[in-house]
Amino acid sequence: MSQPVSAISIQGLTKDFSVTLRGVKLRAVDALNLEVAEGQVYGLLGPNGSGKSTTIKIILGLLDATVGDVRVFGVPAHRVEARRNVGYLPEAPYFYRYLSGRELVKFYARVCGVSGTTLKARVDEVIDWVGLSGAADRRVGTYSKGMLQRIGLAQALVHDPKLIVLDEPTAGVDPVGSAEMCELIRKLKQQGKTVLITSHLLAQIEDVCDRVAILDRGKLIVEGSVLELVGQRDRQALIVDPLSEVDLVALRAWLEARGHHLNAVEQPRARLDQLFLSKVSRPGRPGGASAGVGSNEVPLDAKP
Amino acid sequence: MSVASVPFSFSRLSLIAGNTFLEAVRQKLFNFLLLLAVGLVASAQFFREFNFGSSELKFIADFGFGALIFFGSALTIATTAQLFFSEIENRTALTLLAKPLWRAEFVFGKFLGVFAVIGVFCALTIGLMMALLWHREGQLMEMRPEDFANGRLIAYGDLLVVGVLQWLKFGVLTAIVLLIASFSNTNLFTVVTGFFVLVICHLQYLARDAWGNVDNPLVGLVVRALGFIFPNFQLFNLADQVGQGAGVSPVVALQVAGYAVAYIAVIGGLAVYSFRNREI
Repeated sequence: MSQPVSAISIQGLTKDFSVTLRGVKLRAVDALNLEVAEGQVYGLLGPNGSGKSTTIKIILGLLDATVGDVRVFGVPAHRVEARRNVGYLPEAPYFYRYLSGRELVKFYARVCGVSGTTLKARVDEVIDWVGLSGAADRRVGTYSKGMLQRIGLAQALVHDPKLIVLDEPTAGVDPVGSAEMCELIRKLKQQGKTVLITSHLLAQIEDVCDRVAILDRGKLIVEGSVLELVGQRDRQALIVDPLSEVDLVALRAWLEARGHHLNAVEQPRARLDQLFLSKVSRPGRPGGASAGVGSNEVPLDAKP
Repeated sequence: MSVASVPFSFSRLSLIAGNTFLEAVRQKLFNFLLLLAVGLVASAQFFREFNFGSSELKFIADFGFGALIFFGSALTIATTAQLFFSEIENRTALTLLAKPLWRAEFVFGKFLGVFAVIGVFCALTIGLMMALLWHREGQLMEMRPEDFANGRLIAYGDLLVVGVLQWLKFGVLTAIVLLIASFSNTNLFTVVTGFFVLVICHLQYLARDAWGNVDNPLVGLVVRALGFIFPNFQLFNLADQVGQGAGVSPVVALQVAGYAVAYIAVIGGLAVYSFRNREI
């Protein structure tokens, strides 16, 4: 019985760039091994210059590997066929400013072979899905950064790819735009898509990724599920109403009698981005109060 | 693992070409050069007192072709370099090439887009020149009917043929600039090198005449080789034959057209090969 094919398989990937005419090389990626299973949201993290974007470009066939094997759904990444099932949103996307949002998505759809009766329906569907129906006939040159990210996502999804590659999708976008992008990524996961995200904004990624890999100077430093990497399995937190000093002493004694220790007593805090999102108005929402302070989840039913 | 191949698609190629054309005609440079060329051709009738001894109609035709060649060359080099590097510098090429698209489709799409832009430029310039000539020739026929006893003097068909050959020459120049852009890192380098190559292509016949038959066989061989590498743009200058003797020979015109198509195919192929190895 054949094994299921990974969405992305990277074996021994090394990428060198010549930085001088005398042949001095800069190693951007160093002996990288990664497997991204189908249906996962996978975060490729690391500081600037860690090799994230280079790795993505090799996956997309825009760069050739110096050494190693990179496959997308089993097809070597340098082949045009490998890109049939891939959608890509580049970092800080810049699109043809003279086209309207609808014309832009239609252009990319036709490049991907979407045609005939499905073309219009598919273009309208993805534009609606990213929440740009109201601005679809405006020129892209008039879009804000957040809108550019969303029209970029629409062009990446228009041919219904199985793998979506997002390069720094929240870079330069305000917290509202970032939250909306995270919501869209969660929806993609619900649809069974594989999503590869690069970012150095770790808090945003943590909420949406199933697994992450951390790169530093081109090398893989850490890889695993988010729960494995940041969860503390030997600890638990109880959130209760405020306790008096007497009750706290009694609780500590009760725990110690059972062999446990009360390690810390803290005031729970909402994250600042959640407070921000709860207060500012967001497109498609009547008010800002729906994402409550203290909630760890951003509602999925909201339209961006 | 076997997967269905993605065949070369003329549909995708025409999409890239159409988008390139749209981007070009919305640029100020195109409109500016087009206006200049059209203005220059239109002003030829005001300079007819300065016709330096040649006939007035010949002067208008020469003036028109001069504007076509000068502004057409500048437009070809600047537009090709600009449209290619706007895709690289604005990173729209990243989004495009991350789709199931062959790099050959991208390069030839760019070529056809620019070629169409230059075609519009040539059609407007030649069309205006022919209209001017037709109008002035009509006036002269009324003023001096004895000079036009056998009807109109100007062979308008020949003018059209020469215009098409100039367009094909600009096609060769487009392919050359695309080849330079495929490995160049900057727009400026591409434009400057493009102009140098344009000069070489216009003057290479001089070197071939002067050095092609020298005693040193090695020098002769190098000069002849350079003569093949750089197309001879003087072959396209058939404007002087318009209205002379039998006019422009259809056989010669077809040979020159074939010469241009062959160079476009070879240089375009080299541009694709070079761009395939380029790291975006």
